[in-house]
Amino acid sequence: MISKTKQLLAALAISGFIISTPITATAAEPSASTLEEGKKLTFSRSKGNCLACHAIKGGSMPGNIGPALIAMKLRFPDKQKLLDKIWGTPESQTVPNSMMPPFGKHGILTDDEISKITDFIYTL
Amino acid sequence: MKKTLLIALSLGASVIATSTMATTIDPEKDRQQFVDYFKAKNPSIAPDEYINGAYIYSADKMAQWEAAEEFPPYLDAIDEGEALYNKDLAVYEQCFGSDVSKIRVKYPYFDETAKQVVTLEGAINKCRTDAGLKPYDWKKGPIAQISAYLAYNARGQKINVKIESDAARAAYQAGRDFFIKPRGQFNLSCAKCHVDNSGRNARSNTLSAALGHTTHFPVFRAKWQNLGTLHRRYVGCQKNIRAKPFEAQSEPYRNLEFFQAYTSNGLEINGPGYRE
Ligand code: HEC
Ligand code: HEC
Repeated sequence: MISKTKQLLAALAISGFIISTPITATAAEPSASTLEEGKKLTFSRSKGNCLACHAIKGGSMPGNIGPALIAMKLRFPDKQKLLDKIWGTPESQTVPNSMMPPFGKHGILTDDEISKITDFIYTL
Repeated sequence: MKKTLLIALSLGASVIATSTMATTIDPEKDRQQFVDYFKAKNPSIAPDEYINGAYIYSADKMAQWEAAEEFPPYLDAIDEGEALYNKDLAVYEQCFGSDVSKIRVKYPYFDETAKQVVTLEGAINKCRTDAGLKPYDWKKGPIAQISAYLAYNARGQKINVKIESDAARAAYQAGRDFFIKPRGQFNLSCAKCHVDNSGRNARSNTLSAALGHTTHFPVFRAKWQNLGTLHRRYVGCQKNIRAKPFEAQSEPYRNLEFFQAYTSNGLEINGPGYRE
């Protein structure tokens, strides 16, 4: 409920207003069902739709706007940095004119959804 | 060689990034940089080819598209446009003259008296309402059909938009700012998709270059199964990035069209077009 309200607020206040409470990445080993949910959210066109821009193992017809999401543990030894990148914290926005949407900051996805997507992406 | 490319590319990016601070840009210089950017990005593609949208990036898709253009699905719409035009011929001749091949190329233009951009569709509806006829809906149907008929008769002529006053320059600048500004939930701008990432794929859709965007409109889209105007496409692209779209023929979109048409100066009119 809280995250729904937040999502709505963000949607209303897209320009300017910044939600500045990024969430913390889960440290514990995610359960199989969390990973399964994360995978669905990642591939769903109305949710993450990450395939629009990234090649991801197990997904078909990917775009090639962003880098393939592969070997994530190597690229993001710190899982929190991965979550922040997807959430869209200001510090994570290092690429000028990037196409990567700020999923948390702009309320495209809820914190819970982003957390699950991060768990899934981190297995790739 | 490599250096020129890098400069051109970063120019593209910085032209795009710093525009709002520039109070007086020179549209002609700006247009040349725009064309140079695409030349540097794809040296094997000549500027003339950009009138064919995303198909220029794939030989396969180009072949399929050329086959589709042999018996294009928009032919009926051109006929309907002609019939509609002739139905109110006396009215239209008052506004546009009697040579239907000389109309499309005059638009869009900057009306120095009204201080705003006039589009072809806008002029068609104004002509109608001034004569006491009912205006058409903006995005599809009769207005797109008449626009297609006029484009078809102007094929081969070159886009030739003029900017001759500060007010016209300001309209260009406004369209350009619109084009560059990220917006919507996805935080995307027209430029990110159609300049920075042109030629790349979003899923299986190849992103067209902004150069040449206006040459072939109105467009018959397989997805729509009918003809749509340029502003219908603007609305669609804005919805896709979950931005609140403006009304077709609103001032922001007319300025955007003005900017897009000016940057396509010298390219051939090849409307109506067929697109996926
Ligand atoms: C509209 C295009 C687009 C979409 C949709 C998109 N991304 Fe991205 N993403 C990019 C681009 C472009 C980059 C590279 C530039 C950057 O790092 O900002 C990127 C970078 C990334 C990176 C950093 C990769 C690295 O090695 O530095 C991660 C992680 C990522 N995206 C994850 C995701 C996830 C997860 C989703 C879906 C929830 C997603 N992206 C959706 C375009 C997109
Ligand atoms: C998320 C990426 C994205 C953004 C942002 C975007 N578009 Fe598009 N646009 C597309 C795709 C995909 C297509 C269909 C493939 C193509 O023709 O480029 C398209 C098609 C078009 C076309 C038709 C091209 C043709 O050859 O018929 C025009 C014109 C256009 N866009 C203009 C704009 C303008 C103006 C904006 C900003 C208001 C914009 N787009 C924003 C993705 C985008």
